[in-house]
This record gives sequence, C-alpha cells and structure tokens, in this order.
Amino acid sequence: MGLAFVLAIAGTFVFAYRAGRRARHIRAENEPIRAWMTIPFIAHTHHLPAAALFQAIGVHPQEPRDRRSVRHIAHDLNRPVAELMTQLQRAIDAAAQPPGGHPR
Amino acid sequence: MNDQLLAAVSQYGAPALFGIVAIAAIGVPLPITLLLIIAGSMISQGAMNPWWAIGLAGAGSILGDQAGYAVGRWGGPAVVAKLSGLFGKRASLPAVEAKTKAWGGPGIYITRWLLSPLGPWVNLASGTAGYPWHRFLFWDALGEITGAVVYISLGWFFSDRVMALEAVLGDLTWAMAALLAAIILGWQLAARLRKAGAG
Repeated sequence: MGLAFVLAIAGTFVFAYRAGRRARHIRAENEPIRAWMTIPFIAHTHHLPAAALFQAIGVHPQEPRDRRSVRHIAHDLNRPVAELMTQLQRAIDAAAQPPGGHPR
Repeated sequence: MNDQLLAAVSQYGAPALFGIVAIAAIGVPLPITLLLIIAGSMISQGAMNPWWAIGLAGAGSILGDQAGYAVGRWGGPAVVAKLSGLFGKRASLPAVEAKTKAWGGPGIYITRWLLSPLGPWVNLASGTAGYPWHRFLFWDALGEITGAVVYISLGWFFSDRVMALEAVLGDLTWAMAALLAAIILGWQLAARLRKAGAG
C-alpha cells in the first residue's frame, strides 16, 4: 500500500506538471488539421477566412454554411483525404508567411 | 469511429451531441470531453445555439445515466454482470458499490464531470446499492449540467485551441484521479499506522 501511495503522489505531480506545461503553451501551439474538421472550423482555429481555404482546395462551398468534414469533401471530390489536408496545411502556412513578407 | 462522431457533431450539431453523450453515459467509451469542447468552439463561431447545446448535452447524459441506474436497480444480476462486463472489469462493481454508499451524492456529482470515466460504474452501483432514485436524479442532473456548462464554456473561450485544450484536460483528469487515489491510500495508511501504534 505504501508503494501505491508513493506512485499516486508521483502520478499527481507528473500529470499536473504536464497539464501546466501544456496550458502555458496553449496559445503558442498550432492546431493540427484532422479529417473530422469542417473547413470553417479549420479556418477559425487558424484565424483565416473560410473562403481562402475553400479556394485553396478548389471547392465551391455549399450555402449557407458548408458543414462537410474534410473526409466528406475528399469523398465527394474522389480525392485522398491526406492530399486535401496537405493542401490545406500549405494554404495555412502560406497565409502565415506571405511571399516577401514577415511571418504573421 | 471517433473521427466519425466528431464529424457528426460538426455536421449535425446539438442533436448528434445528444445521441452520442447518451450512449457514452451508458458506458461506451467515447471522447465526450472533446465533443463538448468542440460544441463550445462551434457556439463561438455561430454554428450552434448555446442553450440547445447545453440542454441537449445535459439531457442526453442524464438519460444515459438513468438507464444505467435502472439496469442496476431493476435489471437483475445477469443483466448487471453483462453490462458491467462491457466496461472492462467485472469484479470491481462491488468495490464501486461500497464507495458509492460511502460517498453518496457528492460522489455521484463528481463522477458526472470531473472523474467521468467512473460515471457508468457509479450509475450501475447506485442502482444495485438501492440508492434512492430521486436523490440520484438530483445529483446526476446537477453534475451533468455542471459538466456541460464547464466544458462547453472552456471550448467557447479557447475556441481556436480545441485539440490543445483537450490534451490539457486529459492530463488534469489523470492528475485529479491520482490525487484522489493518493488521498484514499494516505487515509488508509494513516488508519493502519494509528491501529498499529495503539496495538
């Protein structure tokens, strides 16, 4: 029981430390793109207009709000999900560092 | 499967959230915290109504919890054994039942949102232990609404950082679980030492 107590104390500190470290950098880290995300959702997390991302992947958005996930769009376009995600990431990177300019 | 559930909430909004949280409350392991955070983020983007999101997330969870309690109370030992088998460890239900009796309402409340992995166990154990239904409903509803408000608000506030926030909350949940284990073990150790000192 003594060993379990020591492990529980150690676990508390390890996970609390990890949570604290992650929380400190929460605003600095870039959000990853996932296949379940919608284009407006990705645009929001990267502070970009959704229209720019739709344009980057060559898709005309459905009105009034295109709620299709990246996977759904890839299926509709008959294209690999990974390819679409790479295109989106490139568009985000390009917006963060415009040609000849400084990073956002 | 998680990807499809997350996409369903993004696409269909609060009604999808209702169905998924109800299934999770019965005991199916699903990423509910992340779903609530995403709902919060969608609210901040104007893609979901906050009252519908909180109301349906809370109602779905309460419905699932009540189903778990009903199985424990009226399902009979065979059904209880089958359902608890779905969660993983069949043998630990009596231990949870003893803890549920000892902690009562606050135990039910805390396992709705802060130590939520224990929630389905506590639902079953509350039923098998014969914990009064009206009290279970009160603490259950209070806990589930608290959880919905807390996680949806966090998602709303950190709407552009949902994945990072989920990682922070995951570590915090483990820290809380380890702290709770340390408190219980420390208390038992102290009692043992006192007994040894007296003897």
